[in-house]
Amino acid sequence: MYGKKGSELVKELASSEPGQLSAFNNDLFSQVIEECTGHLLHLGPLIRKIEELKKVEERRKINKQELEESDKMALKANNSGALIHHLSLLRNKRCLMAYVYNRAEIIQSLGWTLERVLPEEIEEKLSSSEKEYFKNHGATLQSYMSELDIDLAVDMVPPKDPYIKVRVLDDIGNVVLSDQSANLARHAILFLRRTDAEQYISQGLMEELTS
Amino acid sequence: MESGAGERSSQYSEMDDYESLISTTDAELLKRAWQNEKAAPQILRFEAALVQRSREQIQLMEETVEEYTRNGSDPLTVSLYQMDLDRTLFLLRSYLRTRLQKIEKYMFHIQKTTELWNRLSRPEQKFMGRCIEDMEQHLDQSVLSKLPSSYKSHLKQSSSSEEDDMVPEPQLDTYVICRSNRFLGAFQLDDSGEETVNIEADDLYALPYKSIKPLVETGQIDLV
Repeated sequence: MYGKKGSELVKELASSEPGQLSAFNNDLFSQVIEECTGHLLHLGPLIRKIEELKKVEERRKINKQELEESDKMALKANNSGALIHHLSLLRNKRCLMAYVYNRAEIIQSLGWTLERVLPEEIEEKLSSSEKEYFKNHGATLQSYMSELDIDLAVDMVPPKDPYIKVRVLDDIGNVVLSDQSANLARHAILFLRRTDAEQYISQGLMEELTS
Repeated sequence: MESGAGERSSQYSEMDDYESLISTTDAELLKRAWQNEKAAPQILRFEAALVQRSREQIQLMEETVEEYTRNGSDPLTVSLYQMDLDRTLFLLRSYLRTRLQKIEKYMFHIQKTTELWNRLSRPEQKFMGRCIEDMEQHLDQSVLSKLPSSYKSHLKQSSSSEEDDMVPEPQLDTYVICRSNRFLGAFQLDDSGEETVNIEADDLYALPYKSIKPLVETGQIDLV
């Protein structure tokens, strides 16, 4: 059935959790693209036939004659045939675009929280064009921030206290923070400036301890 | 800090001095701009002067905090200053962030609507230009280049569509919660003129964004 695969693609998108990416469905995606090409192959000859019949009709009009009954039927049949293929193509295009565009929106939101590092388990779910898009879009965001000289990727939640208690999850080593230099060894529990800690938290190297 | 207060203070003459002072500090103005931007479905005018002043303010505060730490002042005072600084920084960042996210979401719509395009700051316009390039390239690589020639546009479904019918647009008839700080009188909700609402000072209303749009844009009403 025409358009069934396209709707499957969109359904897959709709059933995945909001904000989460599932693996790019290459198989289904290329099948829908193939279906589009198929529609075009049908559409071409139909349009040519319609045009031929239209010409015949015009020639006959000059002679004040109508089309023959069989030609009239053929014109109608070709018209509806072409319409069906055209509409199926449009629908497939909408499905494909919805699939790619909505995934791109999720990728955009990832750009806010992950900066430029994509964890492996997400990266393997993306298509090659999506990986490129993530990189490009990240660079676009970075260039805006550097032009304004302000880092927008920190401070995602309203601040309550300038300092927060964090546990270090991985050996980060000695780093210079904005107000102190600290040895961030694994399992250490420290009080850090929230803005300092945030970048590590978003990379999964630290967790905030809430009492 | 009161540099933005000049033109506004005349409107609040009936309020007592203290309240008018509070409501026109840049911190308060920034909070209002941020709230409006957060709640409005559409992108609003960029508060260029306000952002500029806030950034100067932030820099000043950073210097103060540094100086206090160096002089070994009372840690409590320093941490209070730091807290204030953090809050202002958060407001500013979140304000800019919200705008960028709206641009990301509605880039094609803003691109073809001059009125909206003019509301962006220069860096934002540049950002959007690049966003569009990135997105077009991505859509083209993934889908459009593989489709037949008359179906290649990312704005139209096919070349037979007369208007751009594939551009995501903000929903303007969504309801927003709003409050005015003064009496605005009877206000018409739609063109038919049948429904009017009496907008009283400091009352909360849930109205469709579309109908109060001009009030939001002229700053007569605030979104919450």
